[in-house]
Formats: sequence, C-alpha cells, structure tokens
Amino acid sequence: MKVKVWGARGSIPAPGPEMNRYGGNTSCVELELSDGSTLIIDAGTGIRSLGVGIAAKLPKVNILLTHLHLDHIQGLMFFAPCFRSESELTIWGPSSPEASLEERIARYISAPLSPVEVRELPCEMSFLDTPATEWELGPATVRAQAVTHRGPTLGYRIADAGTTLTYISDHEPGLGAPLESLEPEWISGYDLARDTDLLIHDCQYTDAEYPDHVGWGHSRLTDTLTFASRVDARRLMLFHHDPLHSDEFLDAFQETATERWSEMGGDPAAIEMAAERDEFEVIAPATVPAAVSRG
Amino acid sequence: MEQKPLELVLARNFLTSLSTPAFLVDERGDLLFYNEAAGALLGISFEESGRMPASEWSKAVGPLGDDGKPMPIEEIPTTKALRKGRPAHGRFTVRSVRGDTYEIESSVLPIVADGGQEGAMIFIWPTDANSGNSD
Repeated sequence: MKVKVWGARGSIPAPGPEMNRYGGNTSCVELELSDGSTLIIDAGTGIRSLGVGIAAKLPKVNILLTHLHLDHIQGLMFFAPCFRSESELTIWGPSSPEASLEERIARYISAPLSPVEVRELPCEMSFLDTPATEWELGPATVRAQAVTHRGPTLGYRIADAGTTLTYISDHEPGLGAPLESLEPEWISGYDLARDTDLLIHDCQYTDAEYPDHVGWGHSRLTDTLTFASRVDARRLMLFHHDPLHSDEFLDAFQETATERWSEMGGDPAAIEMAAERDEFEVIAPATVPAAVSRG
Repeated sequence: MEQKPLELVLARNFLTSLSTPAFLVDERGDLLFYNEAAGALLGISFEESGRMPASEWSKAVGPLGDDGKPMPIEEIPTTKALRKGRPAHGRFTVRSVRGDTYEIESSVLPIVADGGQEGAMIFIWPTDANSGNSD
C-alpha cells in the first residue's frame, strides 16, 4: 500500500512561508492499493492538488470522510474529478439520524457558502453511510469505527495485501480516560488500530497546550504516544498539525516526540511527523518489528 | 473482550469525573462500571468488585423495598429504563458491603445509539443524611 500525504494540517488551512515544509493544507491522504486503484481519506484542502493530478486518469474514486468538520470536506468542491462528467465519485462518511450524508455535505456545497450546488456537479456522485461491518473497496478491506471527537467521527482501518493502515485524524482518546491503565475494550479506537502497521493519528497539541483545549476533540502528545503504544502500532505518523505550529515548531515537536517514544521503549525510527507531499510505502509486518516492545 | 461502543466509552469517562454516585450497565443490566463516589457508598471500589451480571449485583446491593426484601425486578428503575428505552426514577434502599443501608433516589437514563439500546447510566442520591448506620 503506497501512501501520499496531501494535507496534514488541522482546523484551518495554514499557508505561509513558515509552514512550507510540513504544509498548510488540511487533511487528505491518498492510498494506492495493491491493484493500482486509489482510495482517498478526507477531503480537506489537500485534495485540490491531488485532484489536479488524477482528474484525467481515474474515472472512479472512493473518498472516505472521517467527519464533516470543514477542514475535512473543504477541498471537495475544488476536487477536479467532480467537474468531469466521466468521473464516478463515491463519498463514504458517518451516518446521522438528523440528515443524509448528501444533505449534510450539501450544507457546504450550496448557496450562500458555495457558487455551485452538489446536484450541479457534472460527475456522478453518490453518498453512502459507512457500513457497521467491514466492507471491500477494490482489493482493500475497510473498517470504520466511531471515535472520541466532537460530533459523529470515524477512524478507518484499511487492510490490503497483508498490510494495514489505520487513520484516526481527529481523536481525543484521553478525554476523561486513564489511557495507561484502562482496559483495552474501553479505549476509543483500540480495536480499530490494534496491531496496525501504520497509525496516522491526531497529535494537534503539546502536553503544555492541552489543558486549554480539553474536550476540543484533539490529542496531546502523551495521549497519542500512549494510544499508539497500547495498540502496538508498528509505525506512528503524527497528524493534524495545529495551524499555529510553524515548521520550526514542528521540528522541535518531532524531536520531543521521538525522545518520548524512545523513553517508552519505542523505535525512534518508527515515529514521524506527517508532512505534505510525503510519499512512502506501508511495509508488511514480517519485515518490520513492532514500534514498541511491550513487556 | 470486545471493544465497547463509543457511547459506553464516553459514558464511563463521564461518570468517572462525577462526584455523584453513578453506575453504568449494559443493555442486559449487567454492571459495567461504577465511579468512586458509588464505591464509597457501597464500601467497595469498582476495581475490587469488578463487573457483575445483573442478578449478582442486585443480590449484593439491592435494591430493597420498604419491607427490606429485594424489589420485584419489574419495579426496579433500571429494568424499566432498559425495557422501555425511557428514563426512570425511583426511591428505595441499597446495602453496602459493610451492612449499612441507605435510602436513595435513583434516576436511570438509557443510552440509545444508532445500533439501539446499549445500556444505561444510573445516578443515585442518598435521601437521608443519617443513613448508613448498621442495624
């Protein structure tokens, strides 16, 4: 499974020369599956650039949305395949008793917030609630599970060709929960992320910033590391960077995270900070040891 | 152990933070958790007692009716809330492991999510400040 990060920023796009290395686009990750097909997770502003490259090549696209906060759907209206009649887009997302997925997304892609309406988009677009059980998309098996955040929010686990990637971009697993000692079945997202080869996880706040943001739905470093350790993730990518965090800040944050991970017994090479346009491959478990050895 | 639904995870986290004695049960009424305040009332922490089937924990702590005998199951607010999916309230006596009895009021709020009834939160308030004396 090949992965490319098109947007790693959370909350709001954060352009600027001081943000260039990690990027200012909001959440979007592209997966190239074992059969060459593409799966996209989240449609933050990062999806705009992704779409420029694939519009002519891919008539069928599946997009998995974790939730409908603007930073995860804002790029959808600027996703080039939406404006091609040959394109078939399937948007997956969390269900709601209040309105269908299409109706909820249409609140954004409609007047006065948008010059176009969802129904006017030339592509063939369908909206589906994620199933309660895992399902197949091409060669991949996908599982969605609700996780602790503000509003209905999903994490996704994608399994393909013997490798797994778990994406939990917006998550506050430590909210009111002693993550170190809590039984696994009581940890939000545990089952989804257990033994995953790559965990892409919310790490928006430093430990020092977190007290002013408790209950905002995002994780501090300690909780992200503890969660990754508890689920035995083989590799951890810190995601959803705060819009205030410059490149310099994130460099230092990365250093701190790596030191803390090592102190926890983790492999320092198995933790990294997500950066826009990063490309890599998820490696099968036989070739990479678990990121943290748990006694 | 199967991953608990997010709604129960959040409920447990919430009850952990409260000073009001509170319990969390699943859709069958089996005890999943109670907080420190409830543990203080019962005389035993959740860490010591652990989870229990409904029959076992009602046998251990009650509720007891005015006659001091176990309340009929259909009259217990938890039963009403789980069966009907609606809040229920009641007043009865519970018993601690020390043998103390407390008259309490109980409010039960069912937890219903997309998948249906998942359990209930039970909040209790002692009604008598002088309760808790052994017979």
